Amino acid sequence: MILVPITYKGGIYRHDEVVDLIEDLGGYIIQKHAIAGEIVIQALVPRDDIELIRRVGKPLMGDVTPAPLVGTEIAVVSMSLEIHHLPHASCDIAEYIRRNGAKTNMVGLARGFGKRVAQLNDEERDVINEHDLAIYMLGNFGTCIEQKFPVLRRGIDIPIVVCGGPDKETLQKIIDPPVDGYVGNVGRFMHRTKEAEELTKLDEIVAEVTSVLDHRREEIAKDPLSVSPARLMEVIEEQVPDIGDVTSPTPITVQIAGLRVKLPYDTFADQVKAAGIEGGITVGDVADVLPSRMRDYILVRIKPFSETNIVV
Amino acid sequence: MAFDYFEVECPEQVGGEYYRRLAGVVLLDHDLVKVISKLHILIDPRVPIFVATGVTRKLPPPVKVGDIAAVNIQGEKVVLSIGDETHLAALLRLLWDRFGKERVDQPDRFTVLMQLTPGESEGIEEIVVTDPSETLYKDLIYALQTIAPEGFKVRRQYYGQGRFYFVASENTLPDDILTLVREKFALMGESL
Repeated sequence: MILVPITYKGGIYRHDEVVDLIEDLGGYIIQKHAIAGEIVIQALVPRDDIELIRRVGKPLMGDVTPAPLVGTEIAVVSMSLEIHHLPHASCDIAEYIRRNGAKTNMVGLARGFGKRVAQLNDEERDVINEHDLAIYMLGNFGTCIEQKFPVLRRGIDIPIVVCGGPDKETLQKIIDPPVDGYVGNVGRFMHRTKEAEELTKLDEIVAEVTSVLDHRREEIAKDPLSVSPARLMEVIEEQVPDIGDVTSPTPITVQIAGLRVKLPYDTFADQVKAAGIEGGITVGDVADVLPSRMRDYILVRIKPFSETNIVV
Repeated sequence: MAFDYFEVECPEQVGGEYYRRLAGVVLLDHDLVKVISKLHILIDPRVPIFVATGVTRKLPPPVKVGDIAAVNIQGEKVVLSIGDETHLAALLRLLWDRFGKERVDQPDRFTVLMQLTPGESEGIEEIVVTDPSETLYKDLIYALQTIAPEGFKVRRQYYGQGRFYFVASENTLPDDILTLVREKFALMGESL
């Protein structure tokens, strides 16, 4: 059964019927939020059943759209959290990607600005590495990007998409070794992105991120994960009831090859490790349960089949 | 943009165009477009240096008590009938500081009542409530700081007689920086 990421938008009235349907079909609800009278559900559903969900949702004013970024956690790396970079462009981009289903976290570097003084500390490096992909929001000048980017990418082992002022070709030329994706003509700006041309640029970023993540998914498919992250999320939700008390919008954040569980590591790590999946196999058997550098959260990294010889 | 002169000089063409837009947006956001008549920005990331030079338009004169209120003095009783509410908050703060809160009463929105000795009430119309040039300097420097790249922390700024400059860099500023500033003023047909 191939699961595909979708976003369902519809009225709040009888939306539980859609939730039940997705669960009955073997899909997983990644996130559900209600805004005024509308409900937005991000889910992974069986590819063959999308039409059925669409049909059931239609009388409820529901609409199903493909959302390729559902089930991914993306770091939007801003050179600082000063007025120079916020709220535009960093927030505009983070918010737009979120609309396409991804969970985005803004990582504001303590010393990302400047050509000579820019640096990345170990905490920032580790936090970025906990994501599926990092979008680097760089400045307007090729000279600066060329000099400072090698410092800012040091130790980063996840795919990187670079956004910068110079055009795509220039970015490709000045960044060595190459990164996974480039979006040119998006440097530092201080106005809200609302013109058609700017929105097209945001779409370009989403397309670039999607293509890089698709490539990552293809690589994972060659050596599949021992358990699907969405299934693991459900297991933890069922067996670690304290997750219900977490007020964060996503108490468990689904990543491409893992989860971020927003419970304190020291108190709950053993409980998470011991959660049973199927036939005596526990979370600890198929995944590394690690302390996250983001607050005191738990990071679950699912091991591939080649390491565990288990697929559940 | 309502400038008489506005140029951004930059060795990187694309970067220069972005900074032109960025400067326009920031000045517009800070309501400074009407105030500045000429602006020349030089930005060279290779050095690195950021130089903004400019000329402001004639500013409105300082706002005095007599401009915003009718003053009526009857012995020790001084009544201010507020005509323009815009500067009322600043006026009240000024009166509180000068005479004390217990002697300044505001029975209704447009009236301020005070008990003052003749010496204190003398020349009350002439007290300056706000001086646009004071806030302008702060606003201007803040806006230019926002326009300049964030890493350019070493800076020098000046505002006086309708002229201003803002120089910033990541490194120590050269001793002869004023020569460069004067050159940029000359490009606008002005002198420092």
